Amino acid sequence: MNRLRTWFLAPAATVTVVLFLIPLTVILGYSAMTRGAYFGLGPPWTLANYARVFDPLYGAVLWRSFVLSAVSTALCLTLGLPLALFISRSGKRRNLYLNLVMLPFWTSFLVRIYAWIFLLRDTGLVNAFLQKLGVIHDPLPMLYNDGAVILGLVYGYLPFMVLPLYATLERLDPFLIEAAADLGARPATAFWKVTLPLCAPGIRAGAVLVFIPCLGAFLVPDLLGGGKSIMIGNVVQNQFTTARDWPFGAALSLVLMALVMLALLAALGRRSEDLL
Amino acid sequence: MRRRLFLMGVAGAAGCSRARERRLYVYNWSFYIAKETVPRFERETGVEVRYRTFESAEEMLAKVSAGNSGWDIVIPSNAFVAPMREQGLLAPLDHARLPNLGNLEDRFRDPAWDPGLGYSIPYMYGATGILYNRSVRPEPRGWADFWQDRYGRRVTMMDDPSEVFAAALKRAGHSVNSDAAGEIDEAKRDLIAAKPLLRAFISADVRDQVVAGDVLMAQIWAQMGRLAVNERRDLGFAYPAEGFALYCDNVVILRESREPELAHRFLDYLLRPDVSAEIAQAVTTATPNAAARRLLPVEAREDPILYPPPDVAARGEWYRSLPAAGQRLRDRAWTEIKSS
Repeated sequence: MNRLRTWFLAPAATVTVVLFLIPLTVILGYSAMTRGAYFGLGPPWTLANYARVFDPLYGAVLWRSFVLSAVSTALCLTLGLPLALFISRSGKRRNLYLNLVMLPFWTSFLVRIYAWIFLLRDTGLVNAFLQKLGVIHDPLPMLYNDGAVILGLVYGYLPFMVLPLYATLERLDPFLIEAAADLGARPATAFWKVTLPLCAPGIRAGAVLVFIPCLGAFLVPDLLGGGKSIMIGNVVQNQFTTARDWPFGAALSLVLMALVMLALLAALGRRSEDLL
Repeated sequence: MRRRLFLMGVAGAAGCSRARERRLYVYNWSFYIAKETVPRFERETGVEVRYRTFESAEEMLAKVSAGNSGWDIVIPSNAFVAPMREQGLLAPLDHARLPNLGNLEDRFRDPAWDPGLGYSIPYMYGATGILYNRSVRPEPRGWADFWQDRYGRRVTMMDDPSEVFAAALKRAGHSVNSDAAGEIDEAKRDLIAAKPLLRAFISADVRDQVVAGDVLMAQIWAQMGRLAVNERRDLGFAYPAEGFALYCDNVVILRESREPELAHRFLDYLLRPDVSAEIAQAVTTATPNAAARRLLPVEAREDPILYPPPDVAARGEWYRSLPAAGQRLRDRAWTEIKSS
């Protein structure tokens, strides 16, 4: 029995080692090297890259990224919870709705973000439509600001909130709500006192699944934010592209990973065990 | 059954041990060649060419810098030719095998980045300037216009630190390649001051928005300027009065190449007037090949956007790669500008 278990675990373990631990080790190695004169990297070994990470400039960028990601996560939750509730109570149409939630994944994220540019720009569909209706005279500045960045993040990661929420809500015993009603709770009270606490694990999982990729986002701030205000993902990306400073980029991303882990452990406390 | 499989295996092994079929591996920027360029070379020589493309210089450098990438020929921009040579990545060129070398314009026979063309041959070149809507009066003349509040924030600069610093440095009268701390700092402060007037940092993609009328003035490559003006006649392209950045992409043979003789043939083929003219036409850019330029239709040959007159061209300055310290200084300043 035990041997069987080992055999079944082997593929997943191999994938974890090959696709996760080995690249992480490589990044760890890079982060302690010195960048080449023009490109590339090599010895001598150094911790100087880590020292540079603790520049207040990067701290400010990181704080901004935290705020934008937290706002996006909160919006995803506000939009995702009613949607997940609706789907979980739609009977036979559940699968259809779930597929609709996942439908955007059928096309590339990059293409979908470009589509948003076509929608939001001055001569884009939304402005043209509003102008035709006579609602506005001058085009609304919808693109290239923080609002557009948050929109892009919420749009991109909403499914990651809906799916875990749906998974918890689907398992929720409807008799509990009924019992709450029998005991005199109005629907709103039943929702706040019964449904919401019971789907807390789904909320935590969804929040983590949305918050972390938001924090590392670089496409959305570049394309929808117009590169006017950067997130920490852009700083990391720049190190591997225009700055050609791989060791610093590696150190920055490792520190970021460590901070996210610590923040998660602190925020979720003992409950982080259900996630990690 | 077993034996037959075994024999097939032997036959397969024998097949493998035959001389490797001659193949040339070419790695170029995306959208940077004519449709017929590679197939014609294959027909003329009977050699197979594996042609792949990259999107950024860093992507290419990351692959070839270890020296065992499998590519024979790559096409770096001029700023990377000297660094790649210093790293020992490039094979010296044998000019005796490049009879078409004489087709190049004189100024490209001895460029600053590779004196005497010992390791590279110029492929195509271009510049960065200003694309603008001619409804804007007075029409913009230089980088200083990016600091004027008369476009209603319908202005963009490229999302590339080299280009943005080049504009600010030129405006202040410095070199596009400056890595002097004082000059970088000055440029940084100037750019932070200009940022509220900018709609976005956006590179070649901005072309659509200038054509559609969203953006009135954009820093952009001459090549994109040409394409935009083709689409909409009331657009103009200006070479900034203060000076501007020039780049040239170059064909090099990697030291690791196992087919240097074949690679030279490909380089000489690219230097052929008909081949170079065809590429310049297909990608709408400027060829450094004088004989090729003479083959172009007159409106392309004398295009003031792609081939600015000599007095304008004289204001251009070639990009160089900055050493680590300067690059780092700029990257930190760039992060400061972006997060301001």
